[in-house]
Amino acid sequence: MTGARHDRYDVAVIGAGMAGMAAALFAAERGLSCIQIGNGGGILFASGLLDLLGVHPVAERRLWPSPYAALEALAREQPAHPLARIDTVSIRRAFEAFVAALGAAGLAYAPLGEQNRKVLTAIGTIKTTYGVPLSMVAGVAALDVRPPCLLVDFRGLREFSARQIAATLAQSWPGLRHQRIEFPGYEAVPELYAAHLARALEARVTRERTIALVQPLLGGVQAVGFPAVLGLARSREVHAAFEAELGVPVFEIPTMPTSVPGLRLLGALEAAVSARGVQRRHQATVRALAFDRDAGTATLTLECVPGGERLLARAVVLATGRYAGRGLTADRGGVSESILGLPVHQPDSRAAWHQHDFLDPSGHAINRAGLRTDEAWRPLDAGGKPAWPQLFAVGSILADQDWMRSKCGSGLAIATAWAAMAQVASQLRETAAG
Amino acid sequence: MSPALFQTALDASLALCALGLLWRSSAWFRLRIGPDARAVTPSGRVAAVLRGAASALFSRRALRLLGAFLLDVLFLRRLFASEKLRWLAHLLIVAGFTLLLLMHALAPLVSARLFPGYQPTLAPYLFLRNFFGVMLLVGVALLLFGRWRAGLAQWRRPTAAVFVALLGFVLASGFLLEAHKIASPRAFYRMSEQFIGSSDSEELKPLRALWASEYGVAFDDLKAGIDPRLADQGRTLHGDACAACHTPPASAFVSYPVARLLAPLTGRLDAGHAAAWLLYLHVFACFLGLASLPFTRFFHVVAAPISVLVDAVGPSSAMSAAGRASRRALALDACVRCGVCDARCSVAPLARYLGNPGLLPARKLQATAAMASGRLLPSGQDGDAQWDAALRAADGAFLCTDCGRCTSACPVGLDLADLWQAGRGDLAAAGLPAPAQWVQARPALAWAELLEPGPALQKFSDPDASMAPLCADRRSFSRCVQCQTCTNVCPVVAHSTDCEHGIDLTPQKVMNLLRLGLGDLALGSRMVWDCATCYQCQENCPEGIRVTDILCELRALAVRRLGAVRGRGGVA
Repeated sequence: MTGARHDRYDVAVIGAGMAGMAAALFAAERGLSCIQIGNGGGILFASGLLDLLGVHPVAERRLWPSPYAALEALAREQPAHPLARIDTVSIRRAFEAFVAALGAAGLAYAPLGEQNRKVLTAIGTIKTTYGVPLSMVAGVAALDVRPPCLLVDFRGLREFSARQIAATLAQSWPGLRHQRIEFPGYEAVPELYAAHLARALEARVTRERTIALVQPLLGGVQAVGFPAVLGLARSREVHAAFEAELGVPVFEIPTMPTSVPGLRLLGALEAAVSARGVQRRHQATVRALAFDRDAGTATLTLECVPGGERLLARAVVLATGRYAGRGLTADRGGVSESILGLPVHQPDSRAAWHQHDFLDPSGHAINRAGLRTDEAWRPLDAGGKPAWPQLFAVGSILADQDWMRSKCGSGLAIATAWAAMAQVASQLRETAAG
Repeated sequence: MSPALFQTALDASLALCALGLLWRSSAWFRLRIGPDARAVTPSGRVAAVLRGAASALFSRRALRLLGAFLLDVLFLRRLFASEKLRWLAHLLIVAGFTLLLLMHALAPLVSARLFPGYQPTLAPYLFLRNFFGVMLLVGVALLLFGRWRAGLAQWRRPTAAVFVALLGFVLASGFLLEAHKIASPRAFYRMSEQFIGSSDSEELKPLRALWASEYGVAFDDLKAGIDPRLADQGRTLHGDACAACHTPPASAFVSYPVARLLAPLTGRLDAGHAAAWLLYLHVFACFLGLASLPFTRFFHVVAAPISVLVDAVGPSSAMSAAGRASRRALALDACVRCGVCDARCSVAPLARYLGNPGLLPARKLQATAAMASGRLLPSGQDGDAQWDAALRAADGAFLCTDCGRCTSACPVGLDLADLWQAGRGDLAAAGLPAPAQWVQARPALAWAELLEPGPALQKFSDPDASMAPLCADRRSFSRCVQCQTCTNVCPVVAHSTDCEHGIDLTPQKVMNLLRLGLGDLALGSRMVWDCATCYQCQENCPEGIRVTDILCELRALAVRRLGAVRGRGGVA
């Protein structure tokens, strides 16, 4: 492949959420020169847990112990779903590559395996997910066995209450105790913020003072749970120190978004793509995107503060997300794609957007709106043909999926990015050969 | 001219000059700039300066001083680096003036001793005197041209204009005097009487013919034309009586042509004793200049070289408090108002934008001087002219970025960075501290309440869009979902572990106040004023809100809005 020249790239990835990050990562790992445009802040809403597929079918809210079994069922029953169009071998490889990259960037995950895992949430509910950070995995075992266990929280950290979790689980987990402590150094501060505590715990002195406060509370528990504040960039080191000093398994419980695991994930992904030579324009937005059919290139005009920039790419990957990511714009007339005005698959009329009952378990038609693509992940034009040969779409902007209800957000992002990037690479190889 | 009168006038002007120099230089030890200067006495400062001078002169630094004297004082190296035209002008003036002073004004002491047989009317001295005069004239003209080109038509101080006029007058009267003496038959006769013993016009006719044709004397009766043979007859007498002291004056390339021009008037000028008047005017103008020099801004001819030499010794930071205090006071006199600092100032665009030239170094120096001498006493009353001037000066002092470009560019080696720091200390002591300090003297809520009754104030929902475009446009913050990311990544909030002086609002609360149209509540908040502008919030905001830029705008708005009500209810 051609090396990155000043303003010419093999691939331009628009979007820096999970799908955009995965696309940039896989592009770089395939040896393509890549530029990524967009703010990664959306990842801060992530919990650090990597869902693959937890629920199918949505209407039945059926939980699956194995995501791969769920994927097989999905492929049979909902062949239009983006995840149904990708073979499980590819999905597995995509997840392994993604998690390996995160691990190399300092964010370690437990080995993926075959099964979904159950994880405690900050409000005491239980979430089914697939990829679990190493710092949380002891909580999976604890939740399974439910031994005597201590949950610790910090006075002033409003988004996390050990007492509430213990109260929610009291009946099914009688050995679950809770204790509130002062966070060392912040005794005079009324309101605490998770990221500040996480950073403070990277200092040995704060860590030791915190451990010293927890030690007398152990009283024979077999595991200790904390809000997810055990370190930020150096979470592995902080978590290991807690386990070593307390002498029992220690696990984190994700806090309400935006959370420390979100910050860790963003930091690790930024580090991972940057380390692989991806150019990033994280404060820029794409103002215009034009394709040249003869030259086989796309011209992107960027808007940033200050000034602007123009660059050329041989392929463009749209990973702009839905409404929060502003890949789709909804108004009274309907849903439109924000950059190119591509046709959006959506209910015929506004009246058909929602079911009668807002909390209807089967979800709403509008939640499955998005871009439809050909088998090579190229968005379709009004005539049902690929809009542009060099344009691909990945992640939540794709139609025919309801990732929130299916618990497949990360899976959708990672798997479609993998599959689309395989298409991009083979297409670029063909044009280079031809 | 009567020697007694000359001597009296000279003595008087020398005495005045000496007194003036003493008075002006005493300010270097009296004037207190900066809080640390208050701790040292004038005598302590004299002692420190003497000690410093002695230790510099009797150490290896003496070589550095010599180098600085040659390169920076005589050759004006620093000016050469920054402004070639002004450098040329100054070099012409310094060289022309010094050479005229030594070779012409002090001729009996210098020229007569250095050059055997020196006479002002011999070659090459005739030429040289004119040449030096022209150097001076061209130098002054270049400086005036520079002023005009820079759009400085007005003189800030009338004394400076008067002094320049006086210098021009000395030059003009000098040339006129020389020209008139060349052309004057009266002078001729006076000399012939003295050296030949005759002033008989018929007897001296051959000599007169020679002097009329080759020396430019404008004899009335020889205007029609001169017989060269007659002139030749005069050569013997000329050789005996005149040639030792006179060579043909054509080499006086200014005075001689002027003498030819004046020829038709010479008779009348002679009758009116013009030579004597011109001599009086020339000499007394010189004396007047000598006496008044210390009282004008041209005192810099003394102060600036000293400043350059002091700078060569070392930086202010290496000096004692007493030495530093003296150096600051010296700076006020050494500044030559060249404007090089203004041209290099990092905040010059801001000065234009805010319409406050008080941000520029040259004005700041004046304000510093005014502050130190007590001429800028803030009353704390809104609308008071001095208060406004003091506020503008404080703006200049505190908007300075301490980039140090003015200091490194100063051709006379002023440590301006040290002066600004000292000036800020003085302002703070006078109740005009940095905005971050006076704003934080009141809690945010108190400021908001103070703003409330002001009829002239805009509503917050309507901030000046040219000054705060993001605050004025709801779209720039309305997307905020209060996710707390900005607060989570904010190192200022993270380090705010002291309840009493800690952060009152977090960034996301500031954004929320803006969304609610309650931005006035944020203007005086610690979050706005303690923001480290690390841009973490802005870089991480999932909604792409320019949080840091908005906080910066709020500061600018606060300076404008809270500054307008500062005086209310006592100075904050």
